[in-house]
Amino acid sequence: MSDAFLTALENTLTLKVLLVILVSASYGLFVGAIPGLTATMAVALMVPFTFFLDPVSGLAAIVTMEACCIFAGDIPTTLMRIPGTPSSAAYVDDAYSLTQQGRHQQALGVSLVYSVVGGLVGALVLIFLAPQLARIAFEFSSYEYFWLCVLGLSCAAVVSRGSIAKGLIALSIGLLLSCVGLGSTHSVPRLTFGIDELITGINFIPAMIGLFGLAEVLRNFSKVISDSASADEAAKAGTSTATGIWLSRALGEVFGGIGERLKRSKSRIASSSVIGSAIGMLPGAGADIAAWVSYAVSKRRATPEEKGQYGKGSLDGIADATTANNASLAGAWIPALVLGIPGDSVTAIVIGVLLMKNIQPGPGIFTDPVQLPLVYGIYITFILANLLLIPLGFLAIRSGSLIIRIPRQIILPLILMFCIVGAFAINGSYFDVGVMLVMGLLGVVLERFEVPAGPVVLGIILGGRLEEAFVQSLTKSDSLTAFFGRPIAAGLGVLCIVLWVAPLVSWLRRPSPGTQSAPRLDR
Amino acid sequence: MNCSAPNRPSQLRERRTLFAAGLMLVMLSSLSGCQKSSEYPSRPITLVCPWAVGGGTDRVSRQMAVFLESELDTPVNVVNATGGQGVTGHSRGIRAKPDGYTISMMTLELSMLHWRNLTDLTWEDAAPLMSLNEDPAALFVKADSEFQTVKDLEAAIKDRPGELKASGTAALAAWHLALAGWLISLDQNPTDVIWMPSQGSAPSLQELMTGDLDLVCCSLPEAKSLLVSGDIRCLGVMADNRQASDDFKAYPTLKEQGSNWTLTGWRGLGIAKGTPPEIQTKLVTVLKRIVSGEARVNGESWTEFMDKQGFDHTSRPTTEFADFLKRNDEMFGVILNRPEFQSVQSGPVGPNVFPAIAGGMFGLSLITVLVGAGRRHAASTAETTSSETIAETASPRAALLSECVVASVVFHMLAADVLGFVTTSAIILFLTSKLLGARVLTSAGVAIVASIGIYELFSGLLRVPLPIGIFW
Repeated sequence: MSDAFLTALENTLTLKVLLVILVSASYGLFVGAIPGLTATMAVALMVPFTFFLDPVSGLAAIVTMEACCIFAGDIPTTLMRIPGTPSSAAYVDDAYSLTQQGRHQQALGVSLVYSVVGGLVGALVLIFLAPQLARIAFEFSSYEYFWLCVLGLSCAAVVSRGSIAKGLIALSIGLLLSCVGLGSTHSVPRLTFGIDELITGINFIPAMIGLFGLAEVLRNFSKVISDSASADEAAKAGTSTATGIWLSRALGEVFGGIGERLKRSKSRIASSSVIGSAIGMLPGAGADIAAWVSYAVSKRRATPEEKGQYGKGSLDGIADATTANNASLAGAWIPALVLGIPGDSVTAIVIGVLLMKNIQPGPGIFTDPVQLPLVYGIYITFILANLLLIPLGFLAIRSGSLIIRIPRQIILPLILMFCIVGAFAINGSYFDVGVMLVMGLLGVVLERFEVPAGPVVLGIILGGRLEEAFVQSLTKSDSLTAFFGRPIAAGLGVLCIVLWVAPLVSWLRRPSPGTQSAPRLDR
Repeated sequence: MNCSAPNRPSQLRERRTLFAAGLMLVMLSSLSGCQKSSEYPSRPITLVCPWAVGGGTDRVSRQMAVFLESELDTPVNVVNATGGQGVTGHSRGIRAKPDGYTISMMTLELSMLHWRNLTDLTWEDAAPLMSLNEDPAALFVKADSEFQTVKDLEAAIKDRPGELKASGTAALAAWHLALAGWLISLDQNPTDVIWMPSQGSAPSLQELMTGDLDLVCCSLPEAKSLLVSGDIRCLGVMADNRQASDDFKAYPTLKEQGSNWTLTGWRGLGIAKGTPPEIQTKLVTVLKRIVSGEARVNGESWTEFMDKQGFDHTSRPTTEFADFLKRNDEMFGVILNRPEFQSVQSGPVGPNVFPAIAGGMFGLSLITVLVGAGRRHAASTAETTSSETIAETASPRAALLSECVVASVVFHMLAADVLGFVTTSAIILFLTSKLLGARVLTSAGVAIVASIGIYELFSGLLRVPLPIGIFW
């Protein structure tokens, strides 16, 4: 063991590998920060290059890129309200509200530090528990996945801003949208209204860009006369005076108070990372569900006055959700390395790269003296990548924050352009741009009636999986009791039911409908 | 940087400068775009992959793109046009403009989709270039399964029809039909084994491991990891002969065990019919160099790559490929025309159940909200400065501005293919920033710099094939 570890250290801590890590970290940050481009896309673009790197560098590149990409997704989420990844959709309202208060650097600072913490804890779970945990994936059949999807969706509906009924409206819109097209569950196309293109279905990335990004552009365009200057001034006030000791001031702006916060939130970090790793290591469930569940748990344990902040700029919410989504990354490598079953789309590519390097993922990888150093190499890179993320992420935050200072006559058209290209990029299709436009208009309508947009996105993502798990379960057994037939399924099922019954009970016991909500003005 | 005075007096004159600047832009970008030469290929090629990033077909496509790029000396970008069980990608690739700049990665689904009336696209709409790979389907059971050989399995199916459960793909997709065809060849009903639809081989194999499934039908490379680790067992391969590769040669074919059934998943390249013959010839020549292993990229050949990935690399040149496609198509016609597959396969839950549940949920929650809002409204009409009355969009100019955003997106969708990405973007950037009150020069500067910048970023660095159009 220690021999292999030393070999791994020797292989990893070379100038070449470190250089590869640095380059791919910058590349990951860059791609992740561009709306519409996902970590999977970044890795796929990189794959042809990994073929002529040695295995250690190749895998190091992928690990680093993935970690950096997921954090970088928070940058457009915070600054432009375009979620970089679906997992950022859980806290887009919080992050963007902070930007409007001129506190974007603080928001991104929290997101960065907690991403790193989550990533490191996730890596530790991978390092110490991978072989033991991997087999848990085999305990998860369609029943467990069904409940897991219900849990993720319930969290989104129950915790999102506004009333539960409005959350449910959003959720059902998302689920309906997920039914469009020819899915894998049924052999006939649905809800296509005779439009051939709709057979493809609604891709969640253009939908997400539309619901958040374009909706915001639309709102800002129409608002431009009333207060065109004020928001800029607010943003400038926080940032523009930095001339003296630049670095310490900049560090203060991004990381101010973070040490205190970390000390206070030890138990939150622990629970969020556990949620992240646990969900991440299940094939087919990843950072998105992890972020939502963790956000819900976070809101649940908040004090009443903190609770009011959720959805309007809660740093705790951002912290817990980013911890979980980064912890889930390493989790996805567990089934990939141990069983050769990809935990998500990035690890699916990783398995391809491993095969390319004549490495067969599977239990053998941990006993083979040639391959073991490589596994340790992956571990070491996970740690290195996350540590490197702190300085690089800091630079990215600083340079990204310049966006806020660009006058809106220029930045709004640019954001509009990025919405269009981002929607186009994922499938290279203008149909997706159309989807983005329709979703943008839907986003405006939803916002007008204070219906949260986050659950719509999650509904689109999880709708297909939920239905699939549901149909599969009923194909296997006609009786509904089978949904509670196994310990894990029963546990998750009860959890979901409690999640729904608890607010219902408190709602029924509420004295009168008139006092239900105080006037809530977002801005 | 700019004092924005919304109500300037001379709006007419402004509009004129606006048009002038727009025209200038068009000319400018057309100038910069006029560097097209006539020799093929003179600009980037798009390779359309109908399946998602990370899967087997994506891996093959991306590697092929690397080889084509080095042989043709022009960028080859992979686009994953996914969805519709392959309809989307195949239509996009095969129905593209026949100019040689869109190549289609075709998979065996092309032979079946039209039999299911999902599309009227058939292999005859494509000009086949070269097939690249043929991986046979195979039957897998869990290591502790009672079935040791295909004979055991056959006996069980005959004894207890409609009881065993299998998966591997969506219903009526490739591996489902592989299993169905095998059952038909045994004189069994295709529905004698229940097919549980799934996303693909990986989740199916996982379900197999949980013990909920009896059988998985998928290709050998897809099951390699669990085969090597000894978690699953291969009962039979649906090929004429055993696989040549060391990894798989131990596994018996169905033929050895008395069945005549074979089914092979294939991948191959095609191009839109009507593509100039000289372009087709050039591509085939290049492909021959690649599949023969002659062409090398970074010291590695195509065949070495395919071997390492566990993919077979049998290839068939144009006419042989066309022949193969024809036979493949007929075979699926026979299976899919059977009465069992004529009616819609509904299973225990019909396709309308889930949308109905979601719709019902939508209706119920909408009613709850409306009732709640109505009661609240009645209770306190006077005091609430309800947030539903945020009147941001009151002024006509504001409404015009947001309509302008919608119009910009629609304009981009319609015009980009004709005018080109850069030109269209520049026009939109110029007009929108102008409307928001920026100066003409600022707007023009932003429009030119940003549109070219975004183009270079996405097209050059990130390899997204943006439309080029007449100008740029």
